[in-house]
Amino acid sequence: MKLQRERQGNLHGGRGWYGAAPEMESEKKKAAMAEDSDVDELLAALGYKVRSSNMADIAQKLEQAEMAMGSSAVANDDALFFQLAADTVHYNPSDISTWVDNILSELNGPPPVSSPPLNAPAPLEQQKRHPEALPSDAEQSSITTVELPLSTRRPAQVYDLEPLPAVNVTRARGRFAYSSDPQMDVVDPSPRDSKRIKFCSSPPSSSSSTNDAATSTASNLPAVVVDTQEAGICLVHALLACAEAVEQGNLQAADTLVKQITVLAASQGGAMRKVAAYFAEALARRIYRPPPLGGAVGCPSFDSVAFDDMLHAHFYESCPYLKFAHFTANQVILEAFAGFRRVHVIDFGMRQGLQWPALLQALALRPGGPPSFRLTGIGPPQPDNSDALQEVGWKLAQFAETIRVDFRYRGFVASSLADLEPSMLLGKNSDDCGGAENEPEVVAVNSVLELHRLLARPGALEKVLGTIRAVRPRIVTVVEQEANHNGGTFRERFTEALRYYSTMFDSLEGGGKSGGGRDQVMSELYLGRQICNVVACEGAERRERHEAVEQWRERLTGAGFESVPIGSNAFKQASMLLALFAGGDGYRVEEKDGSLTLGWHTRPLIAASAWRVAAAAADPRSSR
Amino acid sequence: MRRPEEEEEEEEEEEEEEERSSPGWRRIPINDNADLLAEILGRLDGRSLAVAGCVCRLWSALGRREAVWEAVCYRQVAVAGASAASGGTRSVVAALGGYRRLYRLCIGPALDRLAGVRRRQGPAASAARHVSLSLALSLFSIDCYERLGGGGGRQQQQQQQQPRPTSLLFLGQPVDVS
Repeated sequence: MKLQRERQGNLHGGRGWYGAAPEMESEKKKAAMAEDSDVDELLAALGYKVRSSNMADIAQKLEQAEMAMGSSAVANDDALFFQLAADTVHYNPSDISTWVDNILSELNGPPPVSSPPLNAPAPLEQQKRHPEALPSDAEQSSITTVELPLSTRRPAQVYDLEPLPAVNVTRARGRFAYSSDPQMDVVDPSPRDSKRIKFCSSPPSSSSSTNDAATSTASNLPAVVVDTQEAGICLVHALLACAEAVEQGNLQAADTLVKQITVLAASQGGAMRKVAAYFAEALARRIYRPPPLGGAVGCPSFDSVAFDDMLHAHFYESCPYLKFAHFTANQVILEAFAGFRRVHVIDFGMRQGLQWPALLQALALRPGGPPSFRLTGIGPPQPDNSDALQEVGWKLAQFAETIRVDFRYRGFVASSLADLEPSMLLGKNSDDCGGAENEPEVVAVNSVLELHRLLARPGALEKVLGTIRAVRPRIVTVVEQEANHNGGTFRERFTEALRYYSTMFDSLEGGGKSGGGRDQVMSELYLGRQICNVVACEGAERRERHEAVEQWRERLTGAGFESVPIGSNAFKQASMLLALFAGGDGYRVEEKDGSLTLGWHTRPLIAASAWRVAAAAADPRSSR
Repeated sequence: MRRPEEEEEEEEEEEEEEERSSPGWRRIPINDNADLLAEILGRLDGRSLAVAGCVCRLWSALGRREAVWEAVCYRQVAVAGASAASGGTRSVVAALGGYRRLYRLCIGPALDRLAGVRRRQGPAASAARHVSLSLALSLFSIDCYERLGGGGGRQQQQQQQQPRPTSLLFLGQPVDVS
C-alpha cells in the first residue's frame, strides 16, 4: 500500500518536512502520473501537482477568488457560503488551476459570498455552526490515491473551501475535541484520521475553539504572521495529537507532528517554548528509539551521577520545592525527636546533604541541648570511584563539630533502595559513648523524591517498605511529586506530564531568578531529563514514576503505616520560606489531609507527608 | 577624643550644667560611655547601624560588637518561644559565623525582600510576612555548611577550591554591612 511506502519514506529521518516531498513524488511516478521535476515541491507534498511555471497563474487566480469572496456586500451570508462550499467539490487535487477557475466562475455567477473565508476568523465561525465544512483531508484521501503528507503547512486558502463528505464528519469532529474525548474510532482509516488530528485551530475566539472541530490551519510559511495565542493552542493540540499517534503506533503521523511541534514551539515564548521543546525531544526519542546507550535508552547519555547532582543542586537553588521539602521534613523530624537523647536519621537520597545542616542547627538549639546524632546516608554508586558519600559525611561532621553536636555518620552505596537490608541500616555502633547505650535510639527515615523510582521494578517498593518497618522508625517523611505520571495509558501519562511540567516551568519563569539565568537553565535541564524519562522510556528504564499523594497514601497504609498530620509549625515555616522567594506570590502552600503541598497558583506540585508504623504492631515506640 | 583632663572636667561640670540648662536635660558625651552607645546602636536597624559604623573609629568598633548585632537581629525577627537570647543560641550563632554575618547574609536580604513585597502588595499583605529566627538560622546554617571545604584529603585544595555557597542566592544580593 501506498501507506507503507510512505511511512518508510518518512521514517528515513530528520530530513525535515521538505524531505518528504521527493518521496511523494516517487510514489506519484509509480502511480503512473507522469511528472517531471517541474512540480512545485511544497504543493506536491500536499498532493497538489502544480507546475512551477503555473504557480504565478494559480496564485493570481487564488487572489481573485479571495477578492471575490472578500468583497461581498452580503457579508456573513452563511447559507450562500456553504452552498458554495458544499457544491464546490474538489475532485482532483492535482489540478488546482481548474479548481480555482471553478470557484471563480461560481463566485462571479451567484452573489458574492460572505466575509473572506480565507482569513482565519470566518471559517472557524462558520465551521462552528456548520461542521460539515471541514477541510477534506479525508475526502481527498478517499478520492485521490495520493496520501497527503502529514503537515499543515499549506496556504490556508487552499483548503477552506473544500467540502467534506458527510461520512467522516463526526469522526473528524471527535478527533479535534481536546483530549477529553476518550473514544476514538480507530479502525481502518486510522492514518487518515490521525492526519486530521494535526490540524490546528486558528481561533479568533480562543475560548470556543478548544471544543470545536477546529479546522483552519495555522500557516507556518515564513511570510505569514502567526498569532502567538493561536499557535500556543495549536501547539498543545499538536502535542496531544502526537502522543495519541504514538500510542496508536502510528509513528509516521507522530513523526511529522513532532516536526510541526518543533516549529510551533519556536513561535512561542518563555515557559511554553521550553516545555514544548523538551516534550518534542522526548517524543522524538520515543519515536526513533535510538539503540540503547549503556542501558539508558531514550535519555541523554551523560547519566553520570555527578552531572545529575549538579543539576539537582541548581534546581535546589532556583526554586523553593526542594527547600520546602527539606524544611518541612526537618520540622517533622525535629518534633518527632523531642525529648530523645539519641537520634538516628536514615536518608534515602543523600546527594549533597543539604537537608541536614538545618536539622543539626535546630537540634543544637533545642531546649535541653542537642542529642547525639547519627546519620546513615544512602547514595548511588559513583562511576569514577570517588567517594562522594564519604565526603559529604565528612563535611557534615565538620559542621556538626562547629556547632558542637555529637555526630556520627555512615554512608551506604546502593544502586537501588531495594538492595538495603534492615541489619545494614541498624548496624550496631558498638563504639558508642558508654552510658548512652542504655538510652533508646529513635529512628527517622527520610525520603525526598526517592520512592517513586522503586515503582519501576515490581516488588521493590514492598521490599523497601518492609525494610523501613523493620527499622522501627518513629517517623517516616516522604516527599514526592504531586502528579500521576504512572497512569494507565501513555496518552494519560503524557497529558498529565504536560500539565505538570508546564506549571513547573511557569513557576521557574515567574520566580524571576535574580541570580542569573544559569540556575534556571540548569533547573530546566533537570526537569527536562525527567520529562524525557516519563515520555520516552518504558519498563525498567522509566524511573520517574511519580504518583500523587493520594496514591502514596494508599500504598503506605496498605503496607502498615499510618499518616501523621504535619503540624502548623511546619506550615508557618513553609509560608515564611515562600515569602522570601522572588516569585513568592505565585507559590501556595496548602494542607491536605495532613500533608503539605507546595504548588504554583492552583496546582500543587510537590507534597510532603509524614508516616509512622501503624499502632497495630505491639511496639511501645510506635505510639506517640 | 577629649583629653582625660577635659573628660573629668566635663563630668564635674555636669551638675553645674544641669543647673544651667533646662531642668530634665542631662548632657552626656556619648563617646565617653561606650556601653550606653552600644545600647543605643543596638536599637537601630541593620542599614543604619552599618552607616553608624562609618562615623568614627569608636563607633566602628562598637558597630562590630556581636552583642550589638545580636540586639539588632532580635529586634528585627520574630522569635518563637521563650528562649530569646539564651547562651546556647549565642554559642551556636557564634560558631556559625556570628550575628553580624547572620544579619548580612540572611536577615537583611530577607527583610529587604519582604519589604519589597509589602511595597508591592500594600500594607494589607498576608499574615506570614515576617522572618523568624529559626528560619534565618536554618538558612544561615546551610550557607555555613556550603562554605566548608571538602574534607579529608582535599584539605590542601581548600584554598583553591573555595566552594561558592549558593543556597542563599535566592535572597538576592546580601546587605553589605562591612
